Amino acid sequence: MPAEGLVYVIDDDPAMRDSLDFLLESAGLKARLFESAVSFLDALPELGPGCIVSDVRMPDLDGLELLRRLRETNKSLPIIIMTGHGDIPLAVEAMKLGAIDFIEKPFEDDRLIGTITTALSGVAQRHKGDAVAADIASRIASLSQRERQVLDGLVAGLSNKLIARDYDISPRTIEVYRANVMTKMQASSISELVRFAIRGGLLKD
Amino acid sequence: MPGHIPPANPFDDNLLQHGLEDSGIGTCDLNLATRELALSPTACKLFGLSPDESIDYTRFLSLLEPEDRERTERGIERSIADGTNFDIQYRIATPHGATHWLRTRSAVVKGQNGAVHLSGIVIDIEEQKQLEAALRVREGHLRSILETIPDAMIVIDGRGIMQFFSKAAVRQFGYSESEAIGKNVSMLMPNPDSARHDSYLERYRATGERRIIGVGRIVSGKRKDGTIFPMHLSIGEMQTEGEPYFTGFVRDLTEYQQTQARMQELQSELVHVSRLTAMGEMASALAHELNQPLAAISNYLKGSRRLLASDTEENRAKIESAMDRAAEQAIRAGQIIRRLRDFVSRGESEKRVEKASKLIEEAGALGLTGAREQGVSLHFNLDPDHDLVLVDRVQIQQVLVNLFRNALDAMTESAQRIMIVTSSRAAGDMIEIAVSDTGHGIGKEHQARMFQTFFTTKKTGMGVGLSISKTIIEAHGGRMWTEDNPAGGATFRFTLPAAPSEGLTDAG
Repeated sequence: MPAEGLVYVIDDDPAMRDSLDFLLESAGLKARLFESAVSFLDALPELGPGCIVSDVRMPDLDGLELLRRLRETNKSLPIIIMTGHGDIPLAVEAMKLGAIDFIEKPFEDDRLIGTITTALSGVAQRHKGDAVAADIASRIASLSQRERQVLDGLVAGLSNKLIARDYDISPRTIEVYRANVMTKMQASSISELVRFAIRGGLLKD
Repeated sequence: MPGHIPPANPFDDNLLQHGLEDSGIGTCDLNLATRELALSPTACKLFGLSPDESIDYTRFLSLLEPEDRERTERGIERSIADGTNFDIQYRIATPHGATHWLRTRSAVVKGQNGAVHLSGIVIDIEEQKQLEAALRVREGHLRSILETIPDAMIVIDGRGIMQFFSKAAVRQFGYSESEAIGKNVSMLMPNPDSARHDSYLERYRATGERRIIGVGRIVSGKRKDGTIFPMHLSIGEMQTEGEPYFTGFVRDLTEYQQTQARMQELQSELVHVSRLTAMGEMASALAHELNQPLAAISNYLKGSRRLLASDTEENRAKIESAMDRAAEQAIRAGQIIRRLRDFVSRGESEKRVEKASKLIEEAGALGLTGAREQGVSLHFNLDPDHDLVLVDRVQIQQVLVNLFRNALDAMTESAQRIMIVTSSRAAGDMIEIAVSDTGHGIGKEHQARMFQTFFTTKKTGMGVGLSISKTIIEAHGGRMWTEDNPAGGATFRFTLPAAPSEGLTDAG
């Protein structure tokens, strides 16, 4: 049951574009490929409804800058950002700039396709205020003060060591808090944790 | 009162008197009973009197420089009392205010009439005194120069007996001058040098072959309290009246070595940090770069998997093509990793022909400080026939110092502490150097990871030393490996390319 609209893939790596095209096609999605954010923005006025999947690190104009430019246009296409593994600060920044989600390369096809399908169906825009967000907010509320500090540190992209230094406690202790945070937030990975934190309204500009 | 009757005189007293007078020797005679003083004309001249002036004992004393008066009087009184000869040097105040050195030698004699006299000669010793003073000034200068040299200076004779031991030597070795002079210099060395030093001297005397003279080397010294310290020794040779003397200049390298150690520490920290930075930067760049082909491969495979679910013939061609493209991306990933390898193994070094024994000795002076105090017994079994290696001296010494320190560290809690360094010929025109200890050993579980960067079994180690050592050895074309000894402890071995002993000269 293909969703409406095209997937606009922006990546400077030809193999990434080609393989994404292949993957999306195998899932019944139609893609249009752009080798740079610049060529995408050039084509933007004539583009129909759809969803953007863009790499974050690109020469000339990167994913974050693309998000800023898109804010200035009246076209509001949902945008999913692809980041490298562990690029938490970039991902957080992208979410602040209005990306609906971020996925780490290499990615699970189900999650990518699921996110794209959701974006195309327009559900993403209604995310805030829905039941999921309320649930996540209550998980955040259940954290102790120290756990909350650790969560803030992780979402800011800090390492255990740096968080430990900020609060003057041992990295070993941070590990324990971190494990508690992951459990309480029901997150299976650090990127999921960040995603939850964002959905739970933790990020303020 | 003792006294002598002059023996029968074979000389003509008059002639003798003239001879003495003309050669500047005055005569004087003190009658001890009357205290009358008779002076010959030359004596009068020496005392600054007119030739025939008569003078008594009190007047004589008044002519003396005040400082010398009491001493002179005491000397005369003692001669009178004991009947001993009188020999004293004193200054006469001349009418011009200057002083003049004289020497008087006389004996107590009995005159013909039984009167006791103190009779003798007066000579001018001003010139001699001036020479002595000049000599003293020069010696003082020389001494002060020697004492301001921070290097210790020790002079030994041909048998190794210390003749001179400078202030700096006292400071460095802890022996006082009197404790050192007259003793064999071997007391300033640890074994084996201490036991062998006499034979070194003998060998030099027999063969004339210079091993340290004029060259200067880093060796170990032993202080009075038994501590061993690294020192730089340079030796000069001189011949004085047919006897050989050796002058050694000793520079204590303890401080230098501490500075070096600190520098090495900082350097290895720097290596650590710079490697971390370089690796961190490289890792993040590589992670991104490797992610591209990996993500692409994943996409091709996941897509293919989806197409396989709807099993139609037209999908087959698509899947085949996707497989090919996935394989290409896998190769791309491999190339990225190859680039990383090339980066890591980069670097040139300066290689020269060196004596392995010398490298080991010098590294030992730096790396084995404190070993004997820890009760470690050191053995060196070095093959003199296979000694020349083609290496970067500094790098190999770094490896050796590192292995030595590791061995010492490993033995701190051992009951038996023996370290053996051996060198021997190895296959493939290599020379193998082994450092073995009786420490805690490595253990099977760590054996494989021993040379990995940042792997350490030490409480305060960084895990950099051995991995760098191995890199250095491999860059020399050698191998480095380790094994546990059957009787406990570990042996670290490495090979270095042997340098051909012939064919290196310019001859022909």
